[in-house]
Amino acid sequence: MRNTWLILKREYLQRVRTRSFLVLTLLLPAIMTGLMALPAKLATMGQKAQHIVIVTSSPQLGEIVRQQLLATPTDDEEDDANGADNNAKQKHEDQYIVDVDANPTEVERAALRDKVSQRSIDGYLWLTDDAIAARKITWYSREMMPFRERSRLSETVSRVLQQQELSNKGMTPAQADQMLQPIKVQPVRIEGGHEAKGSGTGRLLEIVVMVMLLYMAVLFYGISVMRSVLEEKTARIIEVLLSSASSTELMAGKLLGVGAVGLTQILVWAVMAGVVALPSLATQPNLSDLAIPPSVMAAFALFFLLGYLLYSTMYATIGAITTTEQEGQQLQFLIVIPLVLSVFMLMPVIRTPDSAAVVWMSMIPFFAPILMYARIVVQTPPLWQIALSLSLLIATVWGLLIFCARIYRIGVLIYGKRPNLPEILKWLKYAKA
Amino acid sequence: MTGVSKSYGDFVAVDGLSFSIQPGGIYGLLGPNGAGKTSTLRMMIGIIVPDSGQISIFGEPLNRAHKDRFGYLPEERGLYRKMKVLEHLTFLGQLKGLTGAEATRRAQSWCERFELAAWTGKKVEELSKGMQQKVQFIGAILHDPRLIIMDEPFAGLDPANAVALKDVLLELAKKGKTILLSTHRMDQVERLCQSICLINHGRAVLEGDLNQIKARYGRRHVQIKYEGDARFLDEPSLVQSFNDYGNYVEVQLAPGADPQDLLKLASSSARLSKFELMEPSLEEIFIDVVGKPNA
Repeated sequence: MRNTWLILKREYLQRVRTRSFLVLTLLLPAIMTGLMALPAKLATMGQKAQHIVIVTSSPQLGEIVRQQLLATPTDDEEDDANGADNNAKQKHEDQYIVDVDANPTEVERAALRDKVSQRSIDGYLWLTDDAIAARKITWYSREMMPFRERSRLSETVSRVLQQQELSNKGMTPAQADQMLQPIKVQPVRIEGGHEAKGSGTGRLLEIVVMVMLLYMAVLFYGISVMRSVLEEKTARIIEVLLSSASSTELMAGKLLGVGAVGLTQILVWAVMAGVVALPSLATQPNLSDLAIPPSVMAAFALFFLLGYLLYSTMYATIGAITTTEQEGQQLQFLIVIPLVLSVFMLMPVIRTPDSAAVVWMSMIPFFAPILMYARIVVQTPPLWQIALSLSLLIATVWGLLIFCARIYRIGVLIYGKRPNLPEILKWLKYAKA
Repeated sequence: MTGVSKSYGDFVAVDGLSFSIQPGGIYGLLGPNGAGKTSTLRMMIGIIVPDSGQISIFGEPLNRAHKDRFGYLPEERGLYRKMKVLEHLTFLGQLKGLTGAEATRRAQSWCERFELAAWTGKKVEELSKGMQQKVQFIGAILHDPRLIIMDEPFAGLDPANAVALKDVLLELAKKGKTILLSTHRMDQVERLCQSICLINHGRAVLEGDLNQIKARYGRRHVQIKYEGDARFLDEPSLVQSFNDYGNYVEVQLAPGADPQDLLKLASSSARLSKFELMEPSLEEIFIDVVGKPNA
């Protein structure tokens, strides 16, 4: 116990005191923020106004469509918009230059086609009476995937045409508008007998944050554990250490020490994020959406720690059976595959947290840290399932620790050739005593 | 150690090895490269477990509690490169059960003794190899162990440092510590050790008190300085082999031959200026027992 503590302390202090730790801890949040903000910024920055020509048989119709396109978006659209899009939507007038062309001839069509090729316009909408009658309106442009344009155009055009048709059938424009108002189904989650506020997006955010953190922690600190095992091997320190402490103590000390470094880093980041984000969060109306109940926090801490232990133990083993970092990285897929699989299975978990497949998947220890946690957040599963999943996870971590300590004990003294599976099994037998 | 065996796969590293070390003094574990010395030491300190056989230390079967009572200097030196010397020594001392303060105090005083005092605040990687080795040595004896196990302690040290290290070892031996020295350097063992165990291919070939062993191998060598006829060297009943060093020849007597007969024979044909019965060097015994070590 004392030895474990000493090794833990050494690992921790040696890491935390380095300059790279300081730099990483302070700079990574800045870099991350930059990386997240950059794509959104780029998306809006590169956008210039789209020059659109509406070719129509009746100029009035073209004018209505033009006005609708330039108008500010309706509530309906705003709902789909997320933060980055928001300010883009507000400036629709800057986004479009719309001309109405009341000359629907083949000659004009050829001319427009040339203009599109020469980039003097971005596209034209073929909205002649014939096209309307045939219900086949075409948008010509250079773009490969003009999703945004097309959906906005078709929405606008169909709304305008429906309004016209309705008013042709004797409705006032107000009545037509009323009728065309889309009806939205408002989702309300019932949680623990109460109606939960908000749409649950905050919940999804919790899952994403957890998965990200676990993923990062495992890859980052797991590799750190592996590297540290390899260092002791290549610098031949291990023999001295083993003459003083048992391999289990060594391994436990190392895992916990590196883990403590990770926790420190995450804690610093959390405080930083809190300081930066709180003022802006306080002004957000749906703050309650983000408030995390203590039970979820506890589940997070528990599954995070166990997940870290599980995966970093595997990393330590890889370090013990290989001699160089390159070799170790080749074996990393053993660790990355279950992680990636759990991420793939997140969607089914969120959609159908009760399905048998999801329930049993979340029992498998290698997936449990992510999937069981996600289930707890999405919809608290029955207690026995949580208990079972947790006990399986703990048992696996424990078993793996013993298994790895044995491999570690023999493996760290073997230099040179990487052992194959039968050899590893033989070590297990040797190390039993 | 009784009947200890250890094999790695098909390779038998240690094969039914038995020896015992009396407390106090310096004991030499000798053998050519690959004889199983390091495996033996690793089993003694419990890093690896023997396939069969018994290891007892201080009169009890080896167990975890013994770890704090011996010091181990492995053949492959290993220190954390990024750690500072004093911190590193303190860490090693603490692992052996010392308090932090006590470990630091002792490390400091040993560093002064080995002229490392100016380097205690430096990182290990800034030290020369010889200095690192001294640090490693200090780490092995910091906790004042009863049994000190050293694998090739002199390898890589310059003569001055080797002498300093030898002095410390002798001093510790005088204090009643037991020191196990494993090496293939015969001259060191010859000068330092009271008892030895010579192993080859994982088996003990010779074991016991160094003087007794030498006596057993007897005075079978004669150094002769002569002028004149060297015919006497060709007498097969007396001379098994000889080595001409230019100034003198060293003769190995044939089994059962009486050195007196050789003296008579030699003096009859040549003028002798020296005729001396030699104590065999450990190296000769070694080669004699083991045969010429294959490269």
